[in-house]
Amino acid sequence: MDVINAEQARIAEEAGACAVMALERVPADIRAEGGVARMSDPEMIKEIVDAVTIPVMAKVRIGHFVEAQILQAVGVDYIDESEVLTPADDEYHINKHGFKVPFVCGARDLGEALRRISEGAAMIRTKGEAGTGNVVEAVRHQRAVMGQIRRASVMTEEELYVFAKEIQAPFHLLKETARLKRLPVVNFAAGGIATPADAALMMQLGCDGVFVGSGIFQSGDPAKRARAIVQAVTHFNNPKLLAEVSENLGAAMVGLSIDSNLKGGQFASRGK
Amino acid sequence: MTENCTETRSVIGILALQGAFVEHQTALERLPFRRKLEVILVKTPEDLERCDALIIPGGESTTIALLARLSGVLEPLREFVKTKPVWGTCAGAILLSQAVENAKKGGQELLGAMSITIARNGWGSQIESFEAPLDVEGLQNPEKPFTGVFIRAPVVIKLHPNPNDRPIEVIARLSPGLLPPALASPDHSDEPKIFVALRQGLHFLTTFHPELTEDNRFHEYFVRECVFAARR
Repeated sequence: MDVINAEQARIAEEAGACAVMALERVPADIRAEGGVARMSDPEMIKEIVDAVTIPVMAKVRIGHFVEAQILQAVGVDYIDESEVLTPADDEYHINKHGFKVPFVCGARDLGEALRRISEGAAMIRTKGEAGTGNVVEAVRHQRAVMGQIRRASVMTEEELYVFAKEIQAPFHLLKETARLKRLPVVNFAAGGIATPADAALMMQLGCDGVFVGSGIFQSGDPAKRARAIVQAVTHFNNPKLLAEVSENLGAAMVGLSIDSNLKGGQFASRGK
Repeated sequence: MTENCTETRSVIGILALQGAFVEHQTALERLPFRRKLEVILVKTPEDLERCDALIIPGGESTTIALLARLSGVLEPLREFVKTKPVWGTCAGAILLSQAVENAKKGGQELLGAMSITIARNGWGSQIESFEAPLDVEGLQNPEKPFTGVFIRAPVVIKLHPNPNDRPIEVIARLSPGLLPPALASPDHSDEPKIFVALRQGLHFLTTFHPELTEDNRFHEYFVRECVFAARR
């Protein structure tokens, strides 16, 4: 769950979050306020680390390997090389093999996911469209990844060579993915999840877990909504329980349509 | 009717509220006990009722405990651990302990089945996570070290069995040289911090993640020594 201070981090921990993302602004505010979005102040990150016992993640700009060096030195548990921040490099991602701290990266399809894994990402998440409260892009990205995996899983080796070229993925990672019938790393949903139903939808589409960004602390009752989303991720296949936890959550964050007028632009197109 | 046909299968549940439950399922399904075991994922009290034994996986102990309470499984779990075989890995080991250090603010809920005190994140943050060869005196082929995968792992701080409790056996230990300087004692009396797999009666804990390796010996140990032994 995205949090911007120690108090929000405690609320997330009490609600059952299994990690928090320390940010200066949640994606919805980055979108609304504009300007260059950068790595958070290490002091703020340390306050959050001290406040909770669960892992703390933080974001770096795409390609900004020095921000990553700094976060590793601060002692964060995971780094998100994220399109939500303003990219520092429009061509190269960070060579993540050079770091001890694990990275998560966003992807819109299987090729992008495998390119990030090839660079050393230990976890993948859908890019979705952060800060919109609109799940449509996350659904599109997860369906793309799973659909391509299903296709690859029935291909012969010759076909896999051509498919690797087509989706611009390293062949050995594609072959491993086809054998496993899933990504070879943990795969999260992110970018627009605002309700327990959204979270369960992404789990039913094959995600292993869910990132909730602006959706919690931009809503009417963050503690209650956070707890409901945590339960929805566990019981994603239990509609009766989903109905119970969806009751009386107060106002959800205001959602945005994703079109050419989207304030702040489409973050998902940053980084290939 | 032959003996094989009358034998019912043991149902091993894996608590599937959060964390590495799928990996345990895969590991159990690799064991050569297919006809004697049924493996199920446990998310509700009804699931737990079917189980003869339980594995509590790694994950976040705070999240698992909260989800257990919200799902109505926490009290049934407290009853379950009193009489049934249970294995906790990493976060699961924390939940099995009687006392915990470095708990979240306001404390956290435990099942208290093993007479030990454990410290959460005893080695430090994610970047202090490590792999190390373990001495596995209590397993099959003990001459072959087991690769222990320690991820934000807990550390055993104290064993405190009462005279009436079952004795605690050490099943695996870490080489004392691997203790971080902040944890190592100046006089090199590093026990029990180097104990990474312990058994007390029907209960078993590992502070690391055997389910993330291809080596089945810990899963086999739990099934043979705790699950099948409880049926005899």
